[in-house]
Amino acid sequence: MINESPQVDTKDIAGGQHIPFEFSGKAGEYFKIWIVNISLTILTLGIYSAWAKVRRKRYFYGNTHLKDSTFEYHAQPVQILKGRLIAFGAFIVYTAVNAMLPLAGVVLAILFVFAVPWLVIKAHAFNSRNSSYRNLRLNFKGNYARALAVYIGLPILSVITLGLAYPVYMYHRAKFVVVNSAYGTASFSFSATAGAFYLIALKAVGIAIAAAAFLTVLVLGLGALPTMVTQPATPVGGPVALLIIVGGILAFSAIRAYLDTAVANLIWSNVRASGNQFQSTLRTRYMLWLYLSNAVAIVLSLGLLIPWVQIRTMRYRLENLKLLAKDDLDGFVAREQEKVDSGGEEASELFDLDIGI
Amino acid sequence: MKVLKADFYDGTTSARQEVEIQFEPPGQLRISGLERELIFPLSQLRISPRIGNTPRSIYLPSGAKCEVPDNDTIDSILERYGRSSWQSFLHKLESKLVYVLLALVITVISVWGLVQYGVPALAERVARSLPTSVDEALGREALSVLDQHFFSPSVLDADRQRELRTLLAGITQRIEDTHVYRLEFRSGVGANAFALPSGLIVITDGLVQLAENDNEILAVLAHEVGHVVHRHQLRRLLQDSATVLIIASIAGDVTSLASLSAALPTLIIEAKYSRDFESEADQFALRYLRDNNIRLHHFADILLRMEKQRPSSGLGGGYLASHPATKERAKLFQDDG
Repeated sequence: MINESPQVDTKDIAGGQHIPFEFSGKAGEYFKIWIVNISLTILTLGIYSAWAKVRRKRYFYGNTHLKDSTFEYHAQPVQILKGRLIAFGAFIVYTAVNAMLPLAGVVLAILFVFAVPWLVIKAHAFNSRNSSYRNLRLNFKGNYARALAVYIGLPILSVITLGLAYPVYMYHRAKFVVVNSAYGTASFSFSATAGAFYLIALKAVGIAIAAAAFLTVLVLGLGALPTMVTQPATPVGGPVALLIIVGGILAFSAIRAYLDTAVANLIWSNVRASGNQFQSTLRTRYMLWLYLSNAVAIVLSLGLLIPWVQIRTMRYRLENLKLLAKDDLDGFVAREQEKVDSGGEEASELFDLDIGI
Repeated sequence: MKVLKADFYDGTTSARQEVEIQFEPPGQLRISGLERELIFPLSQLRISPRIGNTPRSIYLPSGAKCEVPDNDTIDSILERYGRSSWQSFLHKLESKLVYVLLALVITVISVWGLVQYGVPALAERVARSLPTSVDEALGREALSVLDQHFFSPSVLDADRQRELRTLLAGITQRIEDTHVYRLEFRSGVGANAFALPSGLIVITDGLVQLAENDNEILAVLAHEVGHVVHRHQLRRLLQDSATVLIIASIAGDVTSLASLSAALPTLIIEAKYSRDFESEADQFALRYLRDNNIRLHHFADILLRMEKQRPSSGLGGGYLASHPATKERAKLFQDDG
C-alpha cells in the first residue's frame, strides 16, 4: 500500500485512541540550564560538555509526555566523555599523520569511510539503549553490510546520477533507522515508499524553480540586471543586490521548511510498532514562520534566545506528533539489555554525521 | 511524613501503576498501592539528579523504577540523609539568578576574549608553523579565475611595467621572507591592487593612472607586501574556520535554524578579522615608508583619491566592512611635523 500523505489508515487500529505527545519544557527554566552548561564547559576547557549534554537531553526527554508518562535519557556523562576523548584523539592522530605522511593520511581517510557505517550503527545503538519510556529501553541493532550500502553506497550513487538517486538514499536511510529500532521486544516497521520521497523531492525542485523564476522576473523588471553584472558597486546595485539576497534567503528557507516538514511527516506517519502507529501533522507554513522568526530572534538577542528557540521548536514538533494506539500501551515487554560504549555516538558527533531522522 | 504520588514501572513491561510512596520509617522508602507493599532502605536506591522540574526517577534494586513529580520533597529527603550528589550543586547553579547571571558574564567575556585574542593568536602560531609552500597552494587558481571574469590584459607599456617591478623589488629585497614576489598588471575593476598569498601582487592600470607619483604606488605595493609577509590569507582561512566552529558550538543543535542565524555573527566576526589584517598591512607600509624616508602622506593621498573614485554601494558598511574607514586609515599616514 502506498501511503504518501500524513493521513493514516486507522481501520486496522480498531478501538484505538489518539494519544498526543506533549511537551512541558519552559524557555526560562531551560535558559538557566543552557547558560550554566556553556559557562561550565568553557571553564573546564570542554570537559563539562559531557555533563552538559546529559543534562540537556534529560531536560528535553523528561519534559516529553506520552499518556501520563515521560521519557528518560540514561547515558552517563563519564561514558560520553570517554567517547569524546577517543574521537578527539583519533582526530589528532589523523591530522598529525596527514601532515607528516600525506599518503598514510589518504589510507586513513579511506579506512574512515569504511568506519562510517559502523559509527552510525554505534551512535543509534547508544542513543536508543539510553532512552527509555515507562522504564523500558529502546534498542537498535543494525547490520554492517546493510549500513555500508545505505550510508556509503547510496550517497555515491546519488553523486554519479547527479542527485537523481538522492530520494532513494533518503528513503533507505529512514528505513534503516526505523526497522532496526525496537521498543522493548517490539520492533518498528516502516511502510513509506521510495516513490513518496521522490514526490517530495519533485515538489521541492518545483518550489526552487518557481522562486528562481520569480526573482529573475522581479530583477529583470527593475531593468537592473545588466548593471549588476558589469558594475557591482553602482547605486542601483545596492537595492537590487539586497533584493536578491533577501529573496534568496526567503526561497531557501521555504524549500528547507517544506523539505523538513514533508520528510518528517512522511517518515513518522509510516512508523509502526505492535499495531500502534505514529502520525505527524507538521505544516510547512508554520515551520517557515518558525525558522524565520527564530533566526531574527537569535540575531537580535545576540544568541540569548537560543534556548527559547529550541523549546518552541521542540514544542511545535511534539504537539504535532500523535500515537494512534490500539490499547493503553501497557503491553510492551522488556528484552535483555546489552551495554554499548559511547565511542560511536561521540565520534559521529565530532565528524558531523547526520544521524537524526 | 508526607505521602507522595508516584508512577511505578516494574521494568519488565510497559504497564504504569499509580502508587503512593513515603519515606517512613526514617531512612526507608515504602511503596504502597501494588499487590504487596515494598520497603527499601535508602542506601539501596539510586535517585536521578534534579534537572529543572522534570520528574525524578527512583531506581529500585529489582530494575523497577518510581517516577515522582515532587522534586522539592525528594531534595529535602536526600539532604536530610546526606545523600545529595554533587549534581545537586549543579541544580543550585541552574536555579539561582545570581549564578545564572555569573554564568552569563563568564560566557560573554570568554567568547569575546576568544574572538578578540584567542583565535587570532592561535591562527598566527599555526600559520608560522606551516611552510610557505602552503601559501602557494592557497591562491594557485585565483588569478586565472579573476582573469576569466574581471580582468583584461594591461595596456601599460613594457618600460613602465619594468619600472614598477623595480619598485617592488626595492621593497622585497630588504625583508627576510621566503615568498617569491612578482608583480602583474591587469586592466579592469577601476583603481585597485591586491596580493595573492604566493607573493603575486596585481595592480590595475586604473591605479597606475590614478597615482600622481611613484611614491604613491610604492606605498600601495608596501601595503600588499604586508599582506603576504604576515600571511593574511592563510590566517584568514584558519580564523574563519575557527569562528564557524565557535558559533556552531554555541548555537548547538539548533540545526537548520542555525544556518540562517549563525550567518550574520559569522560575517561580522570575519569582517572584523579582515579589517584587522588591513590595519596590520597598513602598519607594514607605514614602517617601510618611515624606514626609507618617504613622506607618509603619499599613502593617505592615494587612499583618499581611490575612495573618491569608488561610489559607495550602501551595502556592507560599518560592522560588515572588509576595510577600516578610509578616513581613519589616512589619519595614520599624516606626516609628523
